[in-house]
Amino acid sequence: MNSLERIKAAIAFAPVDRTPAVPQLFGHAAVLAGVVLSDYLRDGGLLARCQIEALQHYGHDLVFAFMDLCVETEAVGSILQYRENQYPDVASYVLSPAGDVSVLAVPDPAIAGRMPELLRAAGILRLELDDTVLVAGCVAGPMTLATQLIGIETALYLAADDPARFEKILDFSAAVAIRYGTAQIEAGVHLPIVFDPSASPAVVPPQFFRELLLPRLQRVFASFRQAGALANWLNTAGPTETTLPYYPEAGADIANFDYYVEPQRAQQLLPRTCLDGNLKSLLFVEASPDEVTAAASRLVAAFAERGGFLLSSGCEIPPEAKPENIAAMVAACRGG
Amino acid sequence: MINPEMNKLVEVLLAGDHAAALAEARRLRAAGMASERIVTEGLEAAMQRLDDKCTVESFNLLEIMLAGRAVSAVVNELYPEGVPPEQGRDTFVIATLEGDVHDLGKNIAKMVLIGKGYRVVDLGKDCPVETLVNAAEREHAHAVLVSGLITPVIPQVRKVRPALDKRGLGGIRVVAGGAALKQSSAEALNVDYVAETAFDGARYLDSVARGALS
Repeated sequence: MNSLERIKAAIAFAPVDRTPAVPQLFGHAAVLAGVVLSDYLRDGGLLARCQIEALQHYGHDLVFAFMDLCVETEAVGSILQYRENQYPDVASYVLSPAGDVSVLAVPDPAIAGRMPELLRAAGILRLELDDTVLVAGCVAGPMTLATQLIGIETALYLAADDPARFEKILDFSAAVAIRYGTAQIEAGVHLPIVFDPSASPAVVPPQFFRELLLPRLQRVFASFRQAGALANWLNTAGPTETTLPYYPEAGADIANFDYYVEPQRAQQLLPRTCLDGNLKSLLFVEASPDEVTAAASRLVAAFAERGGFLLSSGCEIPPEAKPENIAAMVAACRGG
Repeated sequence: MINPEMNKLVEVLLAGDHAAALAEARRLRAAGMASERIVTEGLEAAMQRLDDKCTVESFNLLEIMLAGRAVSAVVNELYPEGVPPEQGRDTFVIATLEGDVHDLGKNIAKMVLIGKGYRVVDLGKDCPVETLVNAAEREHAHAVLVSGLITPVIPQVRKVRPALDKRGLGGIRVVAGGAALKQSSAEALNVDYVAETAFDGARYLDSVARGALS
């Protein structure tokens, strides 16, 4: 089985030769290659090279065509602040607290901001890996992009004070996700993961997720499926026990779960949905390889009978993670 | 047990209705109620209710922010010049340290502590450790609180305790919180306490203020 076949089988709950290893390696690929993170985040060719080198180093099962969660808001018009070895953050939001979202245009991924570079990375990765390894793209989910367009505090207050205006921002954000994700599929990714950390129950209550976010996620995933995505993958991180049951209704085939949710509980909540998770991100920075091996092996064992599992972290593996800890996680999938 | 005179204020605070909270606080003041009582019997009661409701599983920023905004509006109305040190309970200095520009977690913790009647000095985000220590000394702080969303800020957090000790401020407690920091331990971060949520941190600080941990 190659990596792509292995992941496809896991999604379908079919037998696999070993548990697929899908560590969330984004900026770590730059650190591993000795590349300045802010260069990696702006150069699609460099990003693709670093991802391939990380793949060769660790032998895991997928690569990420992903820069950071500021790509979309920058493409719409927000001003970012870049730092050498950190992810950028928004210095000036495109929408002022009283701003009107209807004046904003959904960006064209072929020309807007860093989107063309990301599409270039997707094309290189698909070509170089020749359909043996899953190439995952990524988009910011509707709630996360809404908070990135206007600021999270302003967005949350707006949701309470002027729900109609907030929903317009959500609709705009969903339209951006659809256009950008579809362009990623056309450029070569097998699927765009929807990252929506601001949709986590740590940020908004489950009722908010169900009433406001679920319909937009359904729209996004339906569009990705129509555009040819291999599967739909939703990652919100945090204590998602109350929202995981809605993932199938959203159209997600793969559900990430974070360390807050016990594996057995995640299996009860989503008996027929492929799960990925749930190692603590900080484990990769602070723990020893033996501790990572133990935690990863427990997870692999917890899903051995059920299947439908991709071994991963609950959230991003920090750029400064110890390489020997990531190697230990991948080795645990091989039974070593 | 909530003072019946405070029922309305507590109810609108919990609903996150800052306009109604402001109106009710003004009504209580006009009826002759002292500001300090409105804080201790109204605001603190509302924050206690919220604390009871917000377990680790059901803690969400939206509800806390709305209640926090309402509490802040009332505090600003009662004390437009800020809570005087002699009326506030213990003083805490709070910051997001240098290398981390995410300050929402810090803002939430600040709102919860203000709601409990504490005096909070906010140093903002991307704050050098030295600035934190200077403020702790100047403000006679009982504790410093640091919030971190991203893991690269951890080395800065570890510097806080030795920097306070070096200045002769070893009695000041150090509390850490936030998505990245709460995955770690007090020992690994070289702090006194790692808070799971803002309310968890506030409970720890309540214990410190009561002298239960001294």
